[in-house]
Amino acid sequence: MRRITPPPTSRLVVFFVLVFFLIWWVPFSHVLPDGFPLRFGTYRTFQASEIAMWAIVALGLNILTGYNGQISLGHSAFVAVGGYTAAILMVDHGWPFWTTIILGGVIAGTLGFLIGVPALRLTGPYLAIATLGLALATPQILKKYDGLTHGTQGINVRPEVPPPPDFIDDWFGISLTNDQWIYFLALFIALLMTILAINIVRSRIGRAFVAIRDSEIAAQAMGISVPRYKTMAFAISAFYGGIAGGTYVQVVGYVSPESFNFLLSINFLTTIVVGGLASILGSVLGATGLIVVPELPGLVSFIPGAGLPDELSWAFYGAALILVMIFAPYGLAGLFHRLIRVRPAKILGSLSSAYGRSVEALRSARASRE
Amino acid sequence: MAEFWQQVVTGIATGSVYGLLALAMVLIYRSTSVINFAQGEMAMFTTFVAWSVLQWGEYWVMFPLVLLMAAGFGAFIERVIIRPVEGAPILNIIIVTLGMFAILNNVATWRWGGIPKGFPAPPEIEVTGVKFMGEGALDIGPTVVSYHDLTILVFAVAIMIGLYLFFQYTPTGLAMRATAQNPIASRLMGIRVGRMLTVGWALSATVGAVAGLLIAPLILLQPPMMMGVLLYAFAAAVLGGLDSPVGAVVGGLIIGISENLVGTYTPKEWLGPDMKLTVTLLIIVVVLLIRPTGLFGRRALRRV
Repeated sequence: MRRITPPPTSRLVVFFVLVFFLIWWVPFSHVLPDGFPLRFGTYRTFQASEIAMWAIVALGLNILTGYNGQISLGHSAFVAVGGYTAAILMVDHGWPFWTTIILGGVIAGTLGFLIGVPALRLTGPYLAIATLGLALATPQILKKYDGLTHGTQGINVRPEVPPPPDFIDDWFGISLTNDQWIYFLALFIALLMTILAINIVRSRIGRAFVAIRDSEIAAQAMGISVPRYKTMAFAISAFYGGIAGGTYVQVVGYVSPESFNFLLSINFLTTIVVGGLASILGSVLGATGLIVVPELPGLVSFIPGAGLPDELSWAFYGAALILVMIFAPYGLAGLFHRLIRVRPAKILGSLSSAYGRSVEALRSARASRE
Repeated sequence: MAEFWQQVVTGIATGSVYGLLALAMVLIYRSTSVINFAQGEMAMFTTFVAWSVLQWGEYWVMFPLVLLMAAGFGAFIERVIIRPVEGAPILNIIIVTLGMFAILNNVATWRWGGIPKGFPAPPEIEVTGVKFMGEGALDIGPTVVSYHDLTILVFAVAIMIGLYLFFQYTPTGLAMRATAQNPIASRLMGIRVGRMLTVGWALSATVGAVAGLLIAPLILLQPPMMMGVLLYAFAAAVLGGLDSPVGAVVGGLIIGISENLVGTYTPKEWLGPDMKLTVTLLIIVVVLLIRPTGLFGRRALRRV
């Protein structure tokens, strides 16, 4: 079998560059002078936190859709459940924030299990419409039963969002601003969920998911309980959605029914396909693309004639989607693996061996003629 | 009882539009198993073009012109955007249609602005002394039905009959059915499969354009106008069974009527008009659980 992962050295380099970028550059780069390349302000730090929380959803959805083959257009509902659980418990009941995130995940996971049971009967577009129904109904339900959810005005969680804890100042001697602290919090949660996802997909459970995706009948013949693992995939995926919802509350500081409309669900599906189905790296890359790509036309606008009008940023995103699908059918992760495999030495090597082979062939042809 | 019939008649009219757009989706789904999420936005875009044409032309001059343009637009999209991803997994093609959704929606907002515009209903025409369409309403006993609602219904039925005749009795229609059933065998029989797909998209865009032109007078012309309609159409197509054109129209009518009845007759305290979308979708999910491939859909058999 061919290796698709890069060799250890380049992997380590990528890892350390990434860690440096995420831990230092993103939150602290605003101390750099104006005009410095990649100088991030508060808004960019907020966007980086957004990337972290959407990466969590993408990981969960990828487990369901990429690894298990069940399409869901209803994940905004799970994010909403997690977000509202956290917001209601924090604002109305004064719970500490981290307990609400976990509980939000658990409640969303339970809901996911309950949805997963009827979903067993449906496949493909039929499952898509059933889950889309869930996404469409969510804002209406949140508006209608306003005794619990505060109705259309939403819940402002901003005053309850925790300030940077003291231990960071004590241990590292750095006093963080609120947005930097929230960024690290989101990054930490996303990191935990990524490690969990890697462990799930590489375990017995993950292999069962993939077996079911590739052939339910063959999986059944191998002794895998199809209903059990399919509902489990739904529950795990929804749990991720719920955790992302809890993170959303900390990052955005406000929830309202319209924060979780069905377009969000469609964005999630786009995220994982563009990032790369059945790929952990793809989920993260897709979430990054979701936030960064619509910003790109604005970033190059200082070059005369290169910028698109601001109003066309979503058209640009749409065009990017189409181009990625045409030129990188396995998503950004597939592209990444392809790029990292292309190394000058390897190209030279393959060229020289091809040359050697052709010389060899010529020689043997000549030998046979004589 | 008058209110009941009123709701049913309104439901039939909007349901016909859902059915038309669902029909457009089914035309594409049958031949390529792709759900075209940009279907509504394509219809919205052609309706905006129609609005621009109406600034200097007559309605009945604009109508065939716009349908022609819609057909060309559909064929163009198939050739330029869909063809390069033809062999790709279904999800990839769906993402491409979502990309088109974003582009069309965004460009329309940028070009024509987000402010809702009025769009005229088909004006009165006179054929051999009999007047059709225009203003007014028809008294049909228990209730009245506006001419525009009647027009929508007539158009939907006419298009359905036209498509049926096309698919059953023309060589192109036969070739398209063959392509939908088995592209490889069709190619071996000398059918130009690629061209059939282009024709399918052109047809689908045209049917969608009719839906857009007919719904615009009811819901005002604006970039997000087809979003709700698209969701209902999607639900209608799924309810009817995605490979059945008859199912699409029947599904549209069922959804149109049940949506109105749910809005009127369920208790206002905890359901009522605010929850009509939710209840309608719940009904669809229940139907799907009993018949997982829709009312008229064929069960896909797979060889292992």
